[in-house]
Amino acid sequence: MLRRGRHVARNKFAPDASSHVPAGPKLPSEGWPFVIPHFAPMNVVVLGLSHHSSPVELRERFAFAEAKIPDALKSLRGSGVADEAVILSTCNRVEIYAATALESGQAFTELKKFLVTIHACEAGLGDELYSFAEPQSLQHLFRVACGLDSMVLGETEILGQLKQAYALAHRHGHTGVRLNKAFQRAFHVAKHVRTETNIQRGSVSVASVAVELAEKIFSSLKDREVMVIGAGEMSEKTARALLSRGARSLIVANRSLDRALALANDLGGRAVPFGDWASAFENIDIIISSTAASHHVLDRAKLEPLMKLRHHRPLLLVDIAVPRDIDPEVNFLENVYLYNIDDLQAIADDYLRLRKEELARCEAIIAEKVKALAGACRTADCADNTDNLLFRSAPSG
Amino acid sequence: MAWFTDRHFFLLAVMFYGLSAVYSVFLWRMGFRKDDHVNYFLLLAAFALHTTAMFKRGFSLNHCPVDNLYEATTFVTWTIVAVYLVIGLWPQLRFLGAFASPILFIVGVFALMPELDPAPGPKPEFSGALISLHAATILLAYGAFGLGAVAAGMFLTQQHDLKFHKLRAVLSLLPPIQRLELITGRLVLAGFILFTVGLEAGRYLPRPEGASYWQDPKVVWSIFMWVVYLALLILRWKRVPSNRGFAISIVGAFVFLLLTFWGTNLLSPLHHP
Repeated sequence: MLRRGRHVARNKFAPDASSHVPAGPKLPSEGWPFVIPHFAPMNVVVLGLSHHSSPVELRERFAFAEAKIPDALKSLRGSGVADEAVILSTCNRVEIYAATALESGQAFTELKKFLVTIHACEAGLGDELYSFAEPQSLQHLFRVACGLDSMVLGETEILGQLKQAYALAHRHGHTGVRLNKAFQRAFHVAKHVRTETNIQRGSVSVASVAVELAEKIFSSLKDREVMVIGAGEMSEKTARALLSRGARSLIVANRSLDRALALANDLGGRAVPFGDWASAFENIDIIISSTAASHHVLDRAKLEPLMKLRHHRPLLLVDIAVPRDIDPEVNFLENVYLYNIDDLQAIADDYLRLRKEELARCEAIIAEKVKALAGACRTADCADNTDNLLFRSAPSG
Repeated sequence: MAWFTDRHFFLLAVMFYGLSAVYSVFLWRMGFRKDDHVNYFLLLAAFALHTTAMFKRGFSLNHCPVDNLYEATTFVTWTIVAVYLVIGLWPQLRFLGAFASPILFIVGVFALMPELDPAPGPKPEFSGALISLHAATILLAYGAFGLGAVAAGMFLTQQHDLKFHKLRAVLSLLPPIQRLELITGRLVLAGFILFTVGLEAGRYLPRPEGASYWQDPKVVWSIFMWVVYLALLILRWKRVPSNRGFAISIVGAFVFLLLTFWGTNLLSPLHHP
């Protein structure tokens, strides 16, 4: 009986123009592929680094450029460590998911060697690396897909990144029955969790909260005019978020006209001198204020006469500055809705708290799905073991 | 089932309004974060029973059932539900039902009082299309005013939450306040137009001997309500009251209408001979 994973080359991970990954599982034996008795169960394992376990300086050394992933997967599978593999590389994590017949400990050792060799990085990897075998590997995959392992709990971007990583590996023929099933199930679980829980509900950034508030006030953000007073980073982010949701136009007022012009050009708006911002007030629906002024830029005395020009149209004021630019008394004016940085952060924190409250439900759903999948995979392995004379359907490439 | 009368059907409808009102409290406690489709279907079921009750009554009378206070009240509540079921097809406006169902339940319970539904007397002297037009348009107008008041109530709720930075303001599925304000204005305008048509039709109805039209309490009251709503609409058009002031006025006007409608009807020789 032939043992999988026998190493015949010293640097088996080095990409080699002449290396050939045959169609099907790699077995260094004569008579292959006709004699494939295989009784070792396949195990889905994961090895990686994330923002939880390592700083960005270390993660960036082991990150994979998308263009290089197919070759890396080919090399990994060619070595015999993994029958199937997917590499996920984002700004917050680098993970290798593999279906392997090796014993878990050996698989992790080989995967670690692969990671170090392929990046030609001599830096030692100790506790920064985490590794899981089934069923924890499946649980980890599902948690990642649902955004439970993300820097921002419940964020949805990771699901798209995971789908891209899987699609890339699948397209190049590096996935098979096990990983196909695991990843498809992960995507299904992510959708299920999103539908059944509030883990992805609401906004956890100040800019997004401001947009949500605007959507609770105005029927539509289309045709809304936005004014930015003070061209700081946070006000820029908030303005971008509003524009991305359809806000029509942007006016930037800043003490430095050059900075105002630069930001206005970047966002497709126009700039006005700082002293003239009130002249454009009549048509403005949303004001984002973030100046470095030590006094109130806008107070009740200034705003009250300007509100008469608006004919009871609502006005949203987002005061991101510290010290505050806008007098809190302004909130008592009819049709004025004033939110400062603490108010926005409090809403964002409340949303985060709600998401955390949903964690237990999400974990319960994931545990149930992992159990179901692990059971299904064990059944499939048993079926495969009895089918030992046929060429098993396996990844090509 | 001859023993199952139209009142029994209406009673079942009121029970569904009650269930909907209870569920609405649950939705309110959840901060209107849950979709309102359950409430919509409860009100749809109630509407089916309510419509059955009205049809049975109408068929038994051979005309539009608006002869007494019970019938008039059931007609008003029916129009409120009918308009809501159309508006509620838009998911963002479905929460109107959560605000309307407590009113529907309370008014429905009131309507079921036996004193409001005396046995039909001799066939009224005046009947025909004109009285049906008068009664139907007036009651439809009340329905529109009612739903307008409901939308105004939602506006006030949402506006309060936004002003005082409640998390509920962003978490809830209530529509934006600008849309609520627009719906309120349109419902009140529609109600006013119907009210005007109904009052005009009523002017040409035959009257009992000796009854004075312009001194009839119900007519005086109706003209007063017509002036109130006209004033609100003109002030709104001129942008005089704030959005909040307009919403409070609409709610206040409808509460006044609800509280005084039955009394003036009973005092009116034209409507209660």
